[in-house]
Amino acid sequence: MSGPLYVASRYLVHHRGKTIILVLAVALTGFVPVGLQVLVAQSARELTARADRTPLLVGSRGSPLELVLSALYFDTDPPVPIPWSEIERIDDTGLAQAVPLQVGFRAGGHPIVGTTLEYLDYRRLRVATGRRMAWLGECVLGARAARELGLEPGDDLVSSPETVFDLAGVYPLKMRVVGVLAPSHTADDRAVFVDIKTAWVMAGLGHGHRDLGDPDASAAVLSRAGDRIVANAAVLEYNQITRENIESFHFHAGRSSLPVSAALALPTDERARVLLMGRYEAPDERVQILRPRSVMDELLDTVVTVQSYVVAGIALVAAATGATIVLVFMLSIRLRRREIETMTKIGGSRGSVAAVLISEVVVVVAVGLVIAAGLTLVTSRFGSAAIRAFLLS
Amino acid sequence: MRRIGGHSLSGAMGALLLAASACTEATPVARVEPRAKTGPLVVYTVNEPLRYFAARIGGPHVEALLPAPDDVDPAFWLPEPEDLVGYQGADLILRSGGGYARWIGFASLPRSTQVDTSAGYRDRLIALRGSVTHSHGPQAAQSHGDTAFTTWLDLELAAQQARAVGEAFADARPLLRSDFEIASAKLVSDLERLDERLLEIGAAYEDESLLFSHPVYQYLQQRYGLGGDSLHWEPDQDPGPDEWGRLAERQARSPARWMLWEAEPLPETQRRLGELGITPIVFSPGGNAVEGVDWLALMNANADRLEAAIRRD
Repeated sequence: MSGPLYVASRYLVHHRGKTIILVLAVALTGFVPVGLQVLVAQSARELTARADRTPLLVGSRGSPLELVLSALYFDTDPPVPIPWSEIERIDDTGLAQAVPLQVGFRAGGHPIVGTTLEYLDYRRLRVATGRRMAWLGECVLGARAARELGLEPGDDLVSSPETVFDLAGVYPLKMRVVGVLAPSHTADDRAVFVDIKTAWVMAGLGHGHRDLGDPDASAAVLSRAGDRIVANAAVLEYNQITRENIESFHFHAGRSSLPVSAALALPTDERARVLLMGRYEAPDERVQILRPRSVMDELLDTVVTVQSYVVAGIALVAAATGATIVLVFMLSIRLRRREIETMTKIGGSRGSVAAVLISEVVVVVAVGLVIAAGLTLVTSRFGSAAIRAFLLS
Repeated sequence: MRRIGGHSLSGAMGALLLAASACTEATPVARVEPRAKTGPLVVYTVNEPLRYFAARIGGPHVEALLPAPDDVDPAFWLPEPEDLVGYQGADLILRSGGGYARWIGFASLPRSTQVDTSAGYRDRLIALRGSVTHSHGPQAAQSHGDTAFTTWLDLELAAQQARAVGEAFADARPLLRSDFEIASAKLVSDLERLDERLLEIGAAYEDESLLFSHPVYQYLQQRYGLGGDSLHWEPDQDPGPDEWGRLAERQARSPARWMLWEAEPLPETQRRLGELGITPIVFSPGGNAVEGVDWLALMNANADRLEAAIRRD
């Protein structure tokens, strides 16, 4: 090690408190704006990746962002439902395949997603243990949902009422867990998947009860006129669907009117996508069709705007910090006047003394920048996982 | 460009963090994973007529399956979960429509592989009279299973089903379209021949002297003009004194000469019917497979027995 560098390093080690503060100041000043950029870029990539894998989304007119977040991440309030006839409308065009989604209910804090098997195929969700849902009342858990709920195939899971105040409304449904999905590292990992008909039963749109034509059920019958029976509220509805009672389940509405939160529309090709979007352009259209990627791009535009304000603020703070660091060094030189004179008297040239002082600055800045680079690397590697672990769990 | 409505900057940041938490995805896909395009089409059906149609039309290109046990009526069968796994993995699921096989309404099956072979004649489905409806308070009344479903006993409808099966196969395997069209045309020709024969038998039938042991012959009655009342008797059970009493009263009022049965009735039942002047005729609906007999042969045998009885008279 050369003389000036040795002397500088000894000085920095001797005044380790001041050195550490200066190094941290340099490191954080460098890391915060760069790390934020990395985190935002990484998040934007994740955000657009799932949107990219969802070519078209159909739902009720309203906020496109709410529709996209509800259909892609299941965590926001579901939008106003559209009728099942809209699913048939998409299919009837021959331009796309419709995959319905019914969200809004939860079980153990996890979103329940009512859909069809095509959703699992489309998202390439593979069953790790057990099987896919086969009957009404069965559910398949995402990997994380299974881990957090501590459930496996053969266990039961009870749905939560829509609201705790809905005492007279929908009864919880006891579902049988028949499968657990392999991790997909997407929002699907947190979900509980059921057949959409099961979601309708959960919503109180379908139910099963004893045969009202049975003489034993007379206590639950309000009136009986010919072939028409009117039941009262005493009729016992099943809260679990079993092989013994499944055939008693029915819906008191035509399927075409049953609700769907949203539908993924999977067009056959680019031309079909454009043609299908054109079908929803009428001014009196009550349903919207959108490209999740476009909505996400707009969201990202907003985020980038926010980010630029934040970065500008951080840049100002960094400039102030840099000025403070310069001031610290200048004051340090002033305080070390006698030390510098001593170095000169014992034979140190002006150049050597200057080299010692510059070496101190270079070492502090270099170590600070190395730490900043290390933190940025850690952020790029573990940023998503850290957010998942500390902010959302 | 569409506007993002009703969200705040903080909401946008929250959404971004939410997305970040969702982490990475698998490789991109544009559509539902296509099924294998090579090898025979695996086709699950809900009854024997459709399995037969699929096997006839598909030939070596189709593996036609009906997993219902032989001793169970597929219309009222409830599959085991492992049976449903088979249906879920099939290239095509042929449905009969008209509310046939109610279990489909409770099962999780892919929508994209289901083919409703009755789609072309929904307006010709026969609504059942007297099915019980119920409602809960002021809601609209609802009836369960209110459509007659043995549609294939109208051979003209069966031919339409066969055409629908052929078209579904051609859509699934476009390169084999001509093979499927030729096989479908042959099958439709066979069905039309039997249809014409039954129409001739129906034309020879002049009065209301037929009885039907079970309410499953609605389409046969309607298509071929075979009027008559339906009872609810099982071939392997004695109907009991009340039913015999009602039949005797009916015979005194309006004598019937033949009764169609889904299968050979008990010897004692045949004897007592003979005492009332009624000849039993087996006319199997053929909803499930009969060992050693193909479905069309079974239907032709039905026609033989019916023709022999009516023309002999």
